[in-house]
Amino acid sequence: MIQRLTIAALMLAIVALLRTAPAQAEPYLAVMTGYKCNVCHVNPTGGGLRNEFGVTYAKLLLPAETVDNTLDAWTGKVTDRLRVGGDLRADWTRVTTPNSPSQQSFQLEQLRVYADLTIIPDRLGLYVDEQIAPDGSINEEAYVRYGNTQDGFYIKGGQFYLPFGWRLQDQTAFVRQVTGINMTTPDKGVELGYEHAAWSAQFDVTNGAANATTGQGYQVTTQVVYTKPIWRVGIAGSSTQSDLGDRRVGGLFAGLRTGPIAWLAEADLVRDESLPGGRTLTAGLLEGDWRLRKGHNLKLTAEYEDPDRSVSNDQQTRYSIVYEYTPLPFLQLRAGYRHYFGIPQNNTQNQQVILMELHGYF
Amino acid sequence: MESVKSLVPPASRACIVLASLVIAACAGNGEGLDANGRPLVPGGGGALPPLSADFDSIQANIFTPICSVCHMGGSAPEGLRLDAANSFNLLVGVPSTEVPSLLRVKPGDPDNSYIIQKLEGHQAVGNQMPNGCPTSQPCLTTSTIAFIRQWITNGAPPSATATAAATVHAAAPLAITSIVPDDLEPVSASPPQIMIAFNHDLDVTQIDSRSMHIEKLNPGAPPVVSEIIPAHLTVSSANPGALMVWPSLPLSSGHYRVVINAGTPPQFSDIAGHSLVVGAPDELGDSVISTFDVEVLP
Repeated sequence: MIQRLTIAALMLAIVALLRTAPAQAEPYLAVMTGYKCNVCHVNPTGGGLRNEFGVTYAKLLLPAETVDNTLDAWTGKVTDRLRVGGDLRADWTRVTTPNSPSQQSFQLEQLRVYADLTIIPDRLGLYVDEQIAPDGSINEEAYVRYGNTQDGFYIKGGQFYLPFGWRLQDQTAFVRQVTGINMTTPDKGVELGYEHAAWSAQFDVTNGAANATTGQGYQVTTQVVYTKPIWRVGIAGSSTQSDLGDRRVGGLFAGLRTGPIAWLAEADLVRDESLPGGRTLTAGLLEGDWRLRKGHNLKLTAEYEDPDRSVSNDQQTRYSIVYEYTPLPFLQLRAGYRHYFGIPQNNTQNQQVILMELHGYF
Repeated sequence: MESVKSLVPPASRACIVLASLVIAACAGNGEGLDANGRPLVPGGGGALPPLSADFDSIQANIFTPICSVCHMGGSAPEGLRLDAANSFNLLVGVPSTEVPSLLRVKPGDPDNSYIIQKLEGHQAVGNQMPNGCPTSQPCLTTSTIAFIRQWITNGAPPSATATAAATVHAAAPLAITSIVPDDLEPVSASPPQIMIAFNHDLDVTQIDSRSMHIEKLNPGAPPVVSEIIPAHLTVSSANPGALMVWPSLPLSSGHYRVVINAGTPPQFSDIAGHSLVVGAPDELGDSVISTFDVEVLP
């Protein structure tokens, strides 16, 4: 086993050296390893299709047990120019709301496929992220990318996720809901990005969700991240001009590794003039991921939201404990419990959720 | 204890202590707020009834606190008002204006109900609701939508309060209980439909496009009819107590009235044979149901 791990570590080191810059998967893994997003993902801002290093990491270092099979040669490449991948998440959830009967159900949360076609190596490529179930095909990302996403400037145009804060797996996190920038809200526009050494920066001009039907106004989003081996810090901002009312969002986020624990923190401030009278909202997240042993991760999360700074006694919190077990390459089991705390007169703000998830990916 | 200490290095222990302090932040106690987290106003409501798969509960927990923030009054998007007085009549059995092939609520068929597709964010029906979700406010959770789904699966029955009232007043004459747009009400866009709700189920065999029309009036005393806009009338079998008047063309800015066509026998009666009681004819000799002003925003 030790020999196998040594070989795996060597392979990763070689792959990492061959690439001028590495990528990330779940953000806690990035903090744990000290990698930037583009070390494990084709998309320089993270998420979606894994690159060769990401696939190798998922095969060899993430799971509790590596297995010898035909997938040993799999790196996501179909041809020299075409790379594919996918994620399937199937859930069972039980939601208990005060004064209401519990609701439980199995759900296919998502089946997504990714593809990246390299037209000119290290310069020009096409990327597609398509959710094909449930509810039929929905395009999440589709863009053309020009430039070097590993070291230097790049530009991409089309539909893509906006860079803002931690790109968490849980899209219902308060920081992702309050900012409105998450992996359910891709937008159309262009992104200018820069990757060099410890620096990563993006500048986006997009339609803005509020302007999807009016055709007026834009959303401008920018993010800068500085990454060191055991810590990182980032700042992000977004401004949307809309007939419905302007919306400005600012956020600070940071990561720190202390021994076996990766810490993630984010604080966001939103000023939304589209809400009646205009409102200022805040949201915060603190997450600790404890890598108990290889393939086992305990995720503890505390979240805070103030839906209107001018109103007292309306704050909400949410606490989660999720155990993530990755027994084999490309298979993850997750089980967890979330408890929402809100004002006592609102039942849905005091829900409890038990979840189990089967996550397959390649 | 020693083994735990050896597992967690000092830096992690310090972070855990810091995290514990942060986690100590508590949720609001809700004092002085309504169930939607907004400051109480005199006469405002208090605690909500639990959410369940019946119209009263869905109205109180979802439509009133969340949807009617925008879907109310003369500027309600798509003319869809989701306040307690109008939501049922404007939802059940009524074609959506965005995708007319879909009923807003199709009793027994939640998958093909526009409201479900809208709340779940299907691409075919445009932007997901509540408006701005998840940008400026959370989307409804799957479990919350499940209650609406179940209500539709159950046949989308009306409010228990309304059903009880209809039973008690079964012998009362046929009368109009609400109109959208209401009499003398300004609206900010051409209304896709005019909804006239009655206290009893209508006898639909007597209603056709000759029963009612819309007139545009020029100001004056008495006012002068400048244009007659034909209208298509429908009564959904899912909600026979509401008459929908669909203008044949968009209404430009101006003053309008809805008129029962003269010179015909009484055409509006309920299934028990009670005829509609309307007020005295106006100065032009017409039976006017409603007058309203359209102020189309540039």
